[in-house]
Amino acid sequence: MKENVASATIFTLLLFLNTCLLNGQLPPGKPEIFKCRSPNKETFTCWWRPGTDGGLPTNYSLTYHREGETLMHECPDYITGGPNSCHFGKQYTSMWRTYIMMVNATNQMGSSFSDELYVDVTYIVQPDPPLELAVEVKKPEDRKPYLWIKWSPPTLIDLKTGWFTLLYEIRLKPEKAAEWEIHFAGQQTEFKILSLHPGQKYLVQVRCKPDHGYWSAWSPETFIQIPSDFTMNDTTVWISVAVLSAVICLIIVWAVALKGYSMVTCIFPPVPGPKIKGFDAHLLEKGKSEELLSALGCQDFPPTSDYEDLLVEYLEVDDSEDQHLMSVHSKEHPSQGMKPTYLDPDTDSGRGSCDSPSLLSEKCEEPQANPSTFYDPEVIEKPENPETTHTWDPQCISTEGKIPYFHAGGSKCSTWPLPQPSQHNPRSSYHNITDVCELAVGPAGAPATLLNEAGKDALKSSQTIKSREEGKATQQREVESFHSKTDQDTPWLLPQEKTPFGSAKPLDYVEIHKVNKDGALSLLPKQRENSSQPKKPGTPENNKEYAKVSGVMDNNILVLVPDPHSKNVACFEESAKEAPPSLEQNQAEKALANFTATSSKCRLQLGGLDYLDPACFTHSFH
Amino acid sequence: AGSLLLLLVSDLLLYLFDRAVVLSHYIHNLSSEMFSEFDKRYTHGRGFITKAINSCHTSSLATPEDKEQAQQINQKDFLSLIVSILRSWNEPLYHLVTEVRGMQEAPETILSKAVEIEEQTKRLLEGMELIVSQVHPETKENEIYPVWSGLPSLQMADEESRLSAYYNLLHCLRRDSHKIDNYLKLLKCRIIHNNNC
Repeated sequence: MKENVASATIFTLLLFLNTCLLNGQLPPGKPEIFKCRSPNKETFTCWWRPGTDGGLPTNYSLTYHREGETLMHECPDYITGGPNSCHFGKQYTSMWRTYIMMVNATNQMGSSFSDELYVDVTYIVQPDPPLELAVEVKKPEDRKPYLWIKWSPPTLIDLKTGWFTLLYEIRLKPEKAAEWEIHFAGQQTEFKILSLHPGQKYLVQVRCKPDHGYWSAWSPETFIQIPSDFTMNDTTVWISVAVLSAVICLIIVWAVALKGYSMVTCIFPPVPGPKIKGFDAHLLEKGKSEELLSALGCQDFPPTSDYEDLLVEYLEVDDSEDQHLMSVHSKEHPSQGMKPTYLDPDTDSGRGSCDSPSLLSEKCEEPQANPSTFYDPEVIEKPENPETTHTWDPQCISTEGKIPYFHAGGSKCSTWPLPQPSQHNPRSSYHNITDVCELAVGPAGAPATLLNEAGKDALKSSQTIKSREEGKATQQREVESFHSKTDQDTPWLLPQEKTPFGSAKPLDYVEIHKVNKDGALSLLPKQRENSSQPKKPGTPENNKEYAKVSGVMDNNILVLVPDPHSKNVACFEESAKEAPPSLEQNQAEKALANFTATSSKCRLQLGGLDYLDPACFTHSFH
Repeated sequence: AGSLLLLLVSDLLLYLFDRAVVLSHYIHNLSSEMFSEFDKRYTHGRGFITKAINSCHTSSLATPEDKEQAQQINQKDFLSLIVSILRSWNEPLYHLVTEVRGMQEAPETILSKAVEIEEQTKRLLEGMELIVSQVHPETKENEIYPVWSGLPSLQMADEESRLSAYYNLLHCLRRDSHKIDNYLKLLKCRIIHNNNC
């Protein structure tokens, strides 16, 4: 019997359960609070997840108590937060305090409680996204265009009192790009973007976060079309410039590498070697710059100090002395043109190296190509062939205006520095070639003296002469004395150191034409071949050198005799002071006229300075 | 200190508050990281939070817990409150460093943060005292502050108990550093910007 009751009870129970199960009614499952958030540290909301549905309507209730309190509270607001949520308003929200809360699900069948959740509002802060995102392309006048992004903080957040602190972040990308460009904006609510691709459509978003808490969600996308004329970056310009420069540099390097030497020579052409016909290597060896320069055709080599004074003196000629000597027309040296032979005491007839003064002594093999209108210093080497009938120093330039320059002093034969207007010797002028010639000619063949050792000898001899002259000692500079002084100064040039016997090109030479009563010598160009009638036995004969003073006459006339041993050009004699009147007036005057004319021309050319450039004469007489 | 003398009084206060806010923000970040590291490593999921309720020694201080309460408290009291909290943490921080350093296998990251927090809290306290001297020079020095007595707990033999003690300490440190940071930001906006940040 008892067994029947028991089994019947069990059967009934099972039936009941079956019925219930078939109806799906169960107590609710255990809910779970899965999220609590506070958007502003003044309210917060919690959401739960219901458990399994019992099949019956289920009520949920959230209950909580706070740290330090024992009283239980129920959720004040189930609605604001949506279904299955509990919203805590301002009066229910406390910071820095733990909330212990629980959700209770109840249905007819029963109820379930969730686990307790410990929540501190301090650590659940997450704001809403920023609002009113505005994006605009701005193009200020004097500056580059940029993208201007502006937004507002979410509502209900108190920033003014400092209760809440917000930090922002923006991101943007071209529509089709894969990755975002993110910029942290700090606490500001605006932002500028400078580097953008023109012509593209951009997406922009912004989000925010509290000083301690979670980032908000991204704001909805805002689209902006960048205009096509958005200025190119500076970097693009600079990249173009850099590339162009690199290309140019590479081309240059390549060209240099290929051409190398030839380019270098193009840029820095080698200094040409001297190309003077017949340039005398010996001259080079001696290293006399003046000679070199004269050989090279340098006519305006600045005078050495040695000669400067002489030149100066030499040029001081007074017009009144025109009558001093017969002007002698001397032919221009035919082969002048070559070099500054007129400068060169030696030079003669355009001879090459032979022209250089240093050659006086030397080996000038070249024959005197020149018609022996000049007394060639080289002739000195061949005394037997004086080739000159002139008694004049070869340096004596013809009256046409060749200004004889004689180098005095020094064994060196150096080019007489051309008396350029800008240079030395602006002081004197030649008024009378004859004067000049007189000046130029030293008593002992001064010019020759200059040139070298031979010249030295001549110098000595001339000095000897000079000494004899006793006060007729004369420099070239004594031009004045030539006509003005009555002193002993001899008007001719003495081959003294100071006497800058010019290495004038012996363009021509003169010979003594005759001596007038007063003892003045008239000079003639060699060609004239006039029978010169020197006053003294030292009558110049053709091809004779008169380098030896035989005596002095009248205290002012030097008597020269031919001196075969002398290496110097025979010198002339002349009266010391007075300008020797032209013996042959016609010739003299003619020559003088020529000379004067030329000289005036030349003078003009020189800029008004009163000295004459033999070169000028040279050309004028061509 | 010498550079401070060169500042104008109004700029001095701004400077002091800026500096204080920076320090408090920094200290809380460190404290938060330190707590997270500790919890993750030693106590996560073991319910230590339940024992941390009402464990902070500063809970006796009547500190504002929402914006309205904070706005009701006056400036002077507010400053004093902050100073008290800071002072009350001197000793716990000192012992925290000592004890962590003395641990076997001391967690280096936690130790370094503790050391930094202790140092910066001292700086912050100095700054606060300067601010008080500027804003309320007449304030009498108030040495009352809550005392921490959790040292024995840190030294307990039972690991569970000891861990719980550290957990509570770090939990309270995280909270109080946040409080101080929030209070200072409130005061800065109130005093310097006139509630118009």
